[in-house]
Amino acid sequence: MSLSVAIVGCGKIADAHAGQIRRIKECDLVGACDREELMARQFAERFEAPRYFHNLDQLLEEARPEIVHITTPPQSHFTIARQCLEHGCHVYVEKPFTVNAHEAEVLVELAERRGLRLTVGHDAQFSHAARRMRSLIRQGYLGDTVVHMESYYGYDLGDPMYARAFLGEKGHWVRMLPGGLLQNVISHGIARIAELLSGENLRVMAHGFVSPFLQRLCGEEVLDELRVIIVDERGSTAYFTFSSQMRPVLHQFRVYGSRNGLVLDEQQQTVVKLRGRALKSYLERFVPPIILARQYVGNTVRNARLFLRNDFHMEAGKKELMAAFYRSIVDDTPPPIPSSEILRAARLMDSIFEQVRIPSP
Amino acid sequence: MDSDRTRSGAEASAPGTGEIIGVSDLVLVTGSTGFLGARVVTSLLNRGFRNIRCFTRRSSGLDGFDVMVGGQHAAGVDVIRGNLLSRDDCIKATKDVAVIYHLAAGTGEKSFPDAFMNSVLTTRNLLDAALGHGVLRRFVNVSSFAVYTNRNKPHRGLLDESCPIEAHPERRGEAYCYAKVKQDELVVGYGTKHGIPYVLVRPGSVYGPGQRGITGRVGSGAFGIFLHLGGTNVIPFTYVDNCAEAIVLAGIRKGVDREVLNVVDDDLPTSRQFLRLYKRHVRPFRSIPVPRLVSYLLCAAWEKYSTWSEGQLPPVFNRRTWHAYWKGSRYTNTKLKALLGWTPDVTTAEGLRRYFESCRIRERDVS
Repeated sequence: MSLSVAIVGCGKIADAHAGQIRRIKECDLVGACDREELMARQFAERFEAPRYFHNLDQLLEEARPEIVHITTPPQSHFTIARQCLEHGCHVYVEKPFTVNAHEAEVLVELAERRGLRLTVGHDAQFSHAARRMRSLIRQGYLGDTVVHMESYYGYDLGDPMYARAFLGEKGHWVRMLPGGLLQNVISHGIARIAELLSGENLRVMAHGFVSPFLQRLCGEEVLDELRVIIVDERGSTAYFTFSSQMRPVLHQFRVYGSRNGLVLDEQQQTVVKLRGRALKSYLERFVPPIILARQYVGNTVRNARLFLRNDFHMEAGKKELMAAFYRSIVDDTPPPIPSSEILRAARLMDSIFEQVRIPSP
Repeated sequence: MDSDRTRSGAEASAPGTGEIIGVSDLVLVTGSTGFLGARVVTSLLNRGFRNIRCFTRRSSGLDGFDVMVGGQHAAGVDVIRGNLLSRDDCIKATKDVAVIYHLAAGTGEKSFPDAFMNSVLTTRNLLDAALGHGVLRRFVNVSSFAVYTNRNKPHRGLLDESCPIEAHPERRGEAYCYAKVKQDELVVGYGTKHGIPYVLVRPGSVYGPGQRGITGRVGSGAFGIFLHLGGTNVIPFTYVDNCAEAIVLAGIRKGVDREVLNVVDDDLPTSRQFLRLYKRHVRPFRSIPVPRLVSYLLCAAWEKYSTWSEGQLPPVFNRRTWHAYWKGSRYTNTKLKALLGWTPDVTTAEGLRRYFESCRIRERDVS
């Protein structure tokens, strides 16, 4: 069965989506839409989409997609997603899902009421390494409970010229988000925590500030450093660190259970097991480094095999999430990211932005 | 949009000096604080123009521009800040403007949509705004050699203004090339449809003090060691001041509407000569010469793997790139000299000397 897919919003991230959509055999790209017609046209030309539009109604009526990918700036996600759902389309929304949890709740409720699938582009959770980690957790490697998590999400603002161009425009859509730059970039790091937390009542303590680097460039206007402590209903805790200045630029997740721990490095695509039990005496100082070295060699070999098998694309997580989402539609099974997880991530972000002072542009 | 108004504007006020505007007419320079844009402003000032509107992004620093042209308080220079993606900003910028020098572009971007947006949409907004005002006498679109393809020309064949444009720029794997081809198409379309008088200026490899790095036509350091890919190819250099002068002339000379003008200097060095001089005058470093056939085979293999693997490696090296940058062509500035009366004020020897000196200072500052 071939699914018809359309993309709304033909900017940079749309290219990443289209690149993976065309790697999935069971779907056809039937159209593209951008309110700027020239953008829609260039996208259609490069990705051989048969039709392009600058009006969403027209796309939905004439191209009749079954699935719509929304890759517009986040401020428009809610309106476009709602329109697509009301039109009977399944919807894949790029992160951040919406600008606040209320909008997320409305979309989730609408999708469930209409019997449609809805997902968010937390694709880093579907990379090879992330799936290996999930599999180990499901096998009980951590033990009975998750005790503590640490999610590090680094962001390289690049050279001062780039940062100035990116942040200098007060009207830039990133600057207009309720959570500013943070809202656009912390989703992946927050989603990892949201996946393993329990319940809806979360305690959140957040502290945000402007790095000296950005202070020099644009004063106190853009927060680019964030530290968060989270406690869930069962007492599991999490630290979240976002930094534009910390080196190396980490995309790392550490999770410690009652028995063992795991470390996922998203950029290096490695998963390392941390043994809970210590060895006796001096053995603890000589044996664990060898075990760790062996694990890193194993990760390298696994990554090399994946590359040689032509399954190690930079956007492999995106493809996996898309394919899983499409399968859930065809097989009528639950979507790859549960709606409870989407909502938890949205609420976490709301709590964070309520506590840190986001300067108005 | 009223194209007749634009044409009548052009006919009404040619001053009769071989130029379509006088020094008091208002000219707009976009990208005016950039490497080339600041020199264009300087060149206009040197020619006596005293009504220059410089458009720059709100986020652009003005330090270099201040040094170059005496700053926004220099006589006859009015710096306005804005975003060419804003139609309102474009309307304000083009009000009463007789000649637009459009140098702002999406350079250095790896993303096709970003490059397209910052080159094509901005140009469309400028052209629409200028059409609305109806007084534009010429639109100088600063393009690039990147738009050409020499795939059907022999090694060391002549690359001039008649050379074909890349038919499938999206397959070059180079966002800049794609955006520039589309930008040129747009400008030509506006010329045909709305009668906008335009000139397409296509500089080769612009160099000079303030420019960073070595042009990719010479080689690439992407793999940790410098691969010298240019061999004995001639590099189509144009010194930044010479190029700026050509751009200025393209905006004011009579009789060049709808022309395409390539800009290269005289006495062009080969890639090997350039690299040797760079190592001698700036800093020594190791480079590996890659024979032409080997570079072609590497590019072809990379392209094939990229296609087969569905982009596991991005198609940044491919045969189209090889033809455009490393195959080797000859270049000419005959048309530029004939139509504009342009001559390069700065010789290549002197230009390289100034460039190497600035590189040396930067290297010293970094270390």
